[in-house]
Amino acid sequence: MEHTVNYLVCIPLLPLAGAFVLGMMHMFTCKNPLPEKLYSFLAMLGPLGSLIFTLIVFATLREMPAESRYLTQDLFTWFSVGDLHVDMGFFADPLSTLFLLFVTFIGSLIHIYSIGYMAGEENFGKYFAYFNLFLGSMLILVLGNGPVVMFIGWEAVGLCSYLLISFYTKERDNVLAGNKAFIVNRVGDLGFVLGVAVLFWGLHSALGGAGFDYLNIKASASSLTGGAGLAVCLLLFLGATGKSAQIPLYVWLPDAMAGPTPVSALIHAATMVTAGVYMVARFSFLYASFPLAGDVVAWVGILTALLAAIIGCFQRDIKKILAYSTVSQLGYMFAGVGVAAYSAGIFHVFTHSFFKALLFLGAGSVIYGLHHEQDIWKMGGLKKKMPLTWIVMVIGALALAGFPPFAGFFSKDEILFMALAKGHWMIWLIGVGVAGLTAFYSFRLIFLVFHGEPRDQKSYEKAHEPPPVMTIPLIILAVGATFAGFFNLPSFFAGDSMVSTWLAPSLLEHHSEASRVTEGVAMVLSIAVVLLGIFYAWKTFAFKPQDKPLTGFAKWAEDKFYVDEFYNAFIVQPWIAFGRTISNFIEPNIVDFPIKGTAWLYGVLGMLFKVFQAGYVRVYAIYMVIGLSLMSIFLSQSL
Amino acid sequence: MFESALTVMIFLPIVAGALILLCPAKGAARIIGFFVSLIVLMIGVQLFIDFDGQAGMQFVYSTPWISSLGISFGLGVDGISLLVLLTSAVLFPLVFCVLKEQSRNFYANLLLCQGAMIGAICATDLVVFYIFWELMLVPIFFTIGLYGGPGRLPATLKITIYTIAGSLLMLVGIIYVASCYHQQFGVWTFNMARLSALSLSGGFAGWAFLMFMIAFAIKIPIFPFHTWLPDAYTEAPPATSFVLSAIMAKIGVYGMIRFVLPFFAPEFISWATFFLFLGIIGMIYCGIAAIGQKDIKRMLAFSSASHMGVIAIGVCAMNVQSLTGSLFQIAAHATSTGVLFLFVGLMEERLKTRNIDALGGLAYRAPIFATFFAVAMLASVGLPGTSGFIGEFLIILGTVKYSMFLGLLTGFTLIVGVCYMLWMFQRVFYEKESETTTRFTDLTAGEAFSFLPVMILIFVMGIFPQLFISKIEPAVQQQIAQLYAPAQQQVVTNEISVTDK
Repeated sequence: MEHTVNYLVCIPLLPLAGAFVLGMMHMFTCKNPLPEKLYSFLAMLGPLGSLIFTLIVFATLREMPAESRYLTQDLFTWFSVGDLHVDMGFFADPLSTLFLLFVTFIGSLIHIYSIGYMAGEENFGKYFAYFNLFLGSMLILVLGNGPVVMFIGWEAVGLCSYLLISFYTKERDNVLAGNKAFIVNRVGDLGFVLGVAVLFWGLHSALGGAGFDYLNIKASASSLTGGAGLAVCLLLFLGATGKSAQIPLYVWLPDAMAGPTPVSALIHAATMVTAGVYMVARFSFLYASFPLAGDVVAWVGILTALLAAIIGCFQRDIKKILAYSTVSQLGYMFAGVGVAAYSAGIFHVFTHSFFKALLFLGAGSVIYGLHHEQDIWKMGGLKKKMPLTWIVMVIGALALAGFPPFAGFFSKDEILFMALAKGHWMIWLIGVGVAGLTAFYSFRLIFLVFHGEPRDQKSYEKAHEPPPVMTIPLIILAVGATFAGFFNLPSFFAGDSMVSTWLAPSLLEHHSEASRVTEGVAMVLSIAVVLLGIFYAWKTFAFKPQDKPLTGFAKWAEDKFYVDEFYNAFIVQPWIAFGRTISNFIEPNIVDFPIKGTAWLYGVLGMLFKVFQAGYVRVYAIYMVIGLSLMSIFLSQSL
Repeated sequence: MFESALTVMIFLPIVAGALILLCPAKGAARIIGFFVSLIVLMIGVQLFIDFDGQAGMQFVYSTPWISSLGISFGLGVDGISLLVLLTSAVLFPLVFCVLKEQSRNFYANLLLCQGAMIGAICATDLVVFYIFWELMLVPIFFTIGLYGGPGRLPATLKITIYTIAGSLLMLVGIIYVASCYHQQFGVWTFNMARLSALSLSGGFAGWAFLMFMIAFAIKIPIFPFHTWLPDAYTEAPPATSFVLSAIMAKIGVYGMIRFVLPFFAPEFISWATFFLFLGIIGMIYCGIAAIGQKDIKRMLAFSSASHMGVIAIGVCAMNVQSLTGSLFQIAAHATSTGVLFLFVGLMEERLKTRNIDALGGLAYRAPIFATFFAVAMLASVGLPGTSGFIGEFLIILGTVKYSMFLGLLTGFTLIVGVCYMLWMFQRVFYEKESETTTRFTDLTAGEAFSFLPVMILIFVMGIFPQLFISKIEPAVQQQIAQLYAPAQQQVVTNEISVTDK
């Protein structure tokens, strides 16, 4: 079977080329911008081209026998130092192809949506240049043939995230949010780089100078010792907590909502933030052999899910609610891959990308329609003004809440059921609880925004449905959010688990069997909890909701449990203060002291000798007399 | 004498520099300087292309000088010096292109500086090295002292006296090394290859080792010998800051690899952890200090010191990956931080201020400048795909092998850099436009084309680093093998080669 092809490089290269062209055009014409149509057209070429090549890859892989489904393309030796040999190359297997499919598909949709959303903006060209750059970087991340090439994409998506969060650069807070995202991600990247380094030194004798890519790593992974293996898994996971916003590094994602809404939909919901899950699944062969690392991943995931869901219940900003919801859903995904249910976790990435992109774009429509109002307590009754947005948002919310038969139900339930089947009943229990919270906050949003009476008459009057260029992507995503779950219909519903079967060659997974009865009971229970959540939201918020100031626990949750304040007080401020102290005190007075001291000593000695060099002839005459007499004494002695 | 490319590279700038002083027309100095540096660039590039990674010392030129002491005027290039040489040859024309300083004297000094630096890099004889090493300081003294900022005089005195103190220590070390060789083999020589047979340790050798190390540590500078740096870099004219940070600091690292590693292998191995720690402290300390700065140039000065700490770490971790990383980073750092100094110089020329608080919103007025600055900044924080990543990654990887804990600390360079850089970028290029920035004009076509090659180089070095690594890696392999080889064996092999000659 021929595994080497020559078109993989086109997938990331097309959007990157688009980014370059758009960026150049914008840079040289930003004083009198070119027409938006031109930018829109050029911006669409890259994503659509990648989508076409992705479909070719998908079709080619399907032709291959399941156990050896992969395509590679090696471009050149990136660097080769001693035993370390890194090729610049790409690798497409079922796992990366699944990512390619939804990244290019949803990426293209959101590009289209952005044409409407960003119309009339000052930096239209720059926006699409960054967007193309992001898509290209994300595709490098997914397609890279080894951890080091993946890291190019890994960091580049972080850069794009920074650029797009701080897109409205004139506001100080936006740029600060961008900086925060970049720096927090860098903390994670430290873990990633160290993890890769430890992995390399653990394997380098087994690799024997062969390329440091997934195929070779997987082949020699058994030579990794216990301690090193565990360290690799945990360090890489630290990288994942940065990129995918998990405890303790989740704090950047809610702030990242400062960027334009399509950015939040694409980067901070559907694609980039799932990179950590992808990475854990990519290294499933390591995590499967170090169950302790898997447990850490699962627990961090489920606790993040819980924390973010609680915070999400009390937010007022429509985008913040969705942001915390994303953090929470990412927690689910990590719980899935943590309990070694890799395909379930990845399947949730897949379905989540549809319904969360849908919810964000729907929220974008609301914000667009209300002329940049984001407080859900100032909305209400929008159902009549924006019926289409209402329908798609309800579909999105049902999918997010995990109500059958919408997409989220199948993927979330698969994770929860696998946790139970593998004996992690505590994780299962928390997961079910989080499902209830999720249902509650998503329908709180729906009821407050679309139902009841309008609470802000002025913005209600102006509200309108967005243009078709924005609604068509919404409809397509809504269809996806409704039916994506059926791609992986479990055998319980007489399905054939298509996605899991497709992913099987990429992942090292042992399926646990539990009885049909357990599966059925667990499912009914989680549906009941979801219904309870929706019901409670309906009771509280559907009619005459009261916007009263929160107290006690709710107040704490609204203020995000003061985690940001804690980081600020104990890390950021001391860091800055230390910087000032160094330049104002330590550097001049302590480190430079020996030098200054020496200079001072010379000064003192100079003063001392100056006394003898008075410049008066009579003084020198005395010296001469003294000298001559001493000399004559000395001479007379020696004679 | 001029049949060798290296002698041309050394003496052409020096002679041209002297002639410029006699040149009547003021503007001509800059043009002559530019063309001379362009010739040096072309020779340097040709030399790089002809260089064979596997072949050891090449382009050798040697002529006896003081035969009674075995001193010869010896030059040559190998994998260790190749990238340092290339950096000093390739980046120099930029200095003549972009800055508007008009004085003849200034350009004469710059040319002298280039010649002296190339001499120090190519020297294969310790005495020749020492002469050029000291000669480098002369133009620095004059350019800072005559053309620097308001606090130039104390800054000049500090850098001059500090470095000379270091060099004198080194001179003692050089004499000691040569006399050791004389004792052991009965002949006087200052030839590096032959002296490498020595593997000194114990007794006075320990002191001699420290003398060499301190001389280089001051030049690099390694914490806590860095206190001359912020003042000198800040007060120096932009071209001098560029030369200091992009090239001269690297000659310190080069010297450490070239002399200390082979001469004092056992001493170096036993002290490595200590110096590695100093590197880490310097990297973090200077990185944090950079945050507190209000003057961009001073911030860059600390940033540069922080990066030099990382490069020193790579040398001290003593394996193929980390040492290759350091050598690569030497060139990469010149393309990022070095160029940032020039950008700040341009900014100062136009706005007459370097105060971060007075700036803001430059990106709206000058998109090309902002983009170029951002590229250099991202290279400086080590974004993959730019020149900064490869070196940093290899250094961290190598240090992890040396010690997991020290590797972890070295990794903090990833975080330290972005903190001050992004915050500075925000306040200078983003946010609301300040009154000062309204005077700013974007890069002219000429300036943009002068910087364009460096921008391209940043990406080429990030995407195709193997072009460079393949030429230096064999030499590094050999250097590391020699470092760990038992001393006795080396002496024997060397004696054989000596008798062969």
